[in-house]
Amino acid sequence: MAGILDVPKPRINCSMLSQHINRAVCFVGRVEKVHPTGKTFSVSDGEGNNATVELNEPLEEELSGIVEVIGMVSNKGAIMATTYDVLREDKGTPFDLELYNEAVKLIHDFPQHYPFEVAASG
Amino acid sequence: MSVRLTEGAVEALFKGVEVNNPMLQLLSIRQIGAPSASPRFRLMMSDGQHSLSSVILATQLNYLIEQNLLVPNCVCLLKKIIINTLADGRHVVIVMDLEILQSAEETGGKIGNPTPCSADGKNSSPKKVSSSTSVSASPPSAAVPGTSYSSSNTAFSASGGRGRGFTGKAPVNASPMKASPMKASPMKASPMKASPMKASPMKASPMKTSPMKASPMKASPMKASPMKASPMKASPMKASPMKASPMKASPMKANSASPAKAMSIANLNPYQSKWTIRARVTNKSNIRTWSNSRGEGKLFSFEIVDESGEIKITAFNNEVDKFFSLVEQGKVYYISKATLKAANKQYTTLKHEYEMTLHANSSIVPCDDIQGVPTLNCDFVPIAELENRDKDAIIDLIGVCKSAEDVSRITTKSSREVSKRELSLIDTTGKVVTVTLWGDEAEKFDSSGQPVVAIKGARLSDFGGRSLSALFSSTVMVNPDIPEAFRLRAWYDKEGYALDSQSLTETRSSVSGSRMNWKMLSDVKSESMGHGEKADYFSCIATVVYIRKENCLYQACPSADCNKKVIDQQNGLYRCEKCNRDFPNFKYRLLLSANLADFGDNQWVTCFQETAEVLLGHSAEALGQLRDTDEDAFDEVFQKATFRTHIFKNRAKLETYNDECRVKVTVLEVLPVNHREYSRRLLSNIHKLAS
Repeated sequence: MAGILDVPKPRINCSMLSQHINRAVCFVGRVEKVHPTGKTFSVSDGEGNNATVELNEPLEEELSGIVEVIGMVSNKGAIMATTYDVLREDKGTPFDLELYNEAVKLIHDFPQHYPFEVAASG
Repeated sequence: MSVRLTEGAVEALFKGVEVNNPMLQLLSIRQIGAPSASPRFRLMMSDGQHSLSSVILATQLNYLIEQNLLVPNCVCLLKKIIINTLADGRHVVIVMDLEILQSAEETGGKIGNPTPCSADGKNSSPKKVSSSTSVSASPPSAAVPGTSYSSSNTAFSASGGRGRGFTGKAPVNASPMKASPMKASPMKASPMKASPMKASPMKASPMKTSPMKASPMKASPMKASPMKASPMKASPMKASPMKASPMKASPMKANSASPAKAMSIANLNPYQSKWTIRARVTNKSNIRTWSNSRGEGKLFSFEIVDESGEIKITAFNNEVDKFFSLVEQGKVYYISKATLKAANKQYTTLKHEYEMTLHANSSIVPCDDIQGVPTLNCDFVPIAELENRDKDAIIDLIGVCKSAEDVSRITTKSSREVSKRELSLIDTTGKVVTVTLWGDEAEKFDSSGQPVVAIKGARLSDFGGRSLSALFSSTVMVNPDIPEAFRLRAWYDKEGYALDSQSLTETRSSVSGSRMNWKMLSDVKSESMGHGEKADYFSCIATVVYIRKENCLYQACPSADCNKKVIDQQNGLYRCEKCNRDFPNFKYRLLLSANLADFGDNQWVTCFQETAEVLLGHSAEALGQLRDTDEDAFDEVFQKATFRTHIFKNRAKLETYNDECRVKVTVLEVLPVNHREYSRRLLSNIHKLAS
């Protein structure tokens, strides 16, 4: 876990999964279906595409709404999650997934303005 | 080409001189008249020297063309002809009997090099070749009394009109137009479609525009088609009795009162003097009086519609008295003899080029035959599409009135009191928009039962995103009797009522968003804001970086609306100079000096009571108390207010204070940041910069 937290984790959406295979990423999406075993679930991004998230331990409770998953992208294009976080829907402004998707695309369209660099740890 | 054409015949015929059995070559054939009625054919004949296009084939000879016996380039002998003279002296030749001497194949091609015979262009748009003449073979021509426009003049003008219509635009064409009308005129009687006409307009390019007009015109004349058609042969009918007499000269007297033929609204133009139209009143305004430097008067206007289009009619002063009670919305009338002039687009939302003014001789007669006259010409826009339309566009809309505010009275800038009412309309696109009604309509409107409301001619504004306002000339119909209304009703009852739809008209708070003048703080200096004569208003997103605690509160006069600082008289009384009174108390008011910053620059601003209270989150009174009692708590209020980001609406102005000029910025409104809206704005700015 420590390893992944030190590394820059670019935010991506489904279309960018293939370019980030074997890399650490941060994926925000809406939970679609949870597998009965609880070890995997599917998420949809702002564009409507789906991706699969695999967990090390099965889920303890029902998951729904928008989650932020941090993990590695496997060869098959699934996200091997090391940690996830649910965004609360009952408080604050509702999360606009489509708008988020636009922002993610922007980040990748202008890498010169949004560099993903390993911060020189001092 | 072994046949010899009778040279000089065309010239003679053109002059109205009878020629015995002339041999002429047919150059071209044009069909005129309503397609539904039996066709009339107009021929262009040549004698090798000149060509004449004002030749009409009597209908009993139509079979010659229909069976392809009479084709261009063949040579014929005109065995029996009748020459009709129109009011303006032009002549039309009606061929009652002809014999084909040589077929087109035998002839080979055009004999000689005939020049057009009319005074000017001739051809170009024969326009209405039509009519009349044919009318039952007996040349009623000119007259064609069609009532509406019987007079040859009219006919003439009608055709000419059409042409003229264009001409109007391109004076140059004037003559060609005339020319054609000449030939055309006889036909007036039955405005036939006359395809030839279509062709002709093409000739004269300046008239390009005309073709368009032309076509509708062609089309329209037939509106009253049932009647028209007949004129042609078969039924000299209506017209006939009249026709008989008219022949030549423009008998026209007829018209009005016996509208056997009605012209179409789309064809109306100022160059046509006699016409009758049959249309339904769609929108009648109230009587309005005005008084300006040139005098005063009253007017009322109404719009009428028929199958071809709509036009606005205005009546002034005396005519108001005459016609106001006669004209009722929704009824059909025959209208004739009004003045046509170019439409003043400022006062009308209709698309017609012209508008009508009634005068003393105008006639409006109720009509019983309403078949074919549409009830209302509406081009409804789905609410979701309103966003794509431009601001200030005139729109027709139909929707279910989901809710309506109560009538409220507003005082306008001109100090008039008006009633206003806002309705929320929803339609099948699921979107809601707010429509504002004014005056009587606002008061009369009954919103119970969620009626279907159709509005014609409302103005789209970008107030609050998108909203509609009923104009003086708009028509508001509640539960109208049109198919769209029924469809909406059915949809609403099934699913619409449950829809929690998104309104295009945002509520007040986010209204500002769509009209704000977004700037960055660095723009204040770089654009020299406030340096002009007027103050500059702008909005920005900024973070409060520092708020001055000292002198943030002052003691103000306790009387309502007076915020002047009071002077402590030290005897328990506080004196207000403005009210000239002493008070035993005062009220605390905030006057904050704060520093705002964004990524590029910072700016000192002044916040008065209202905005200061929003920033600090406490009322002035409470803060006043706190300052005297609990210093730490007082400080904490300021701490918490610092480093918060808000949307600021500001005014920048150059002010002189003791010989020193400085740009002072005052905060007018503080709003919480709407992140979604901000993100979208940033995204669009980025995209704009990137492209």
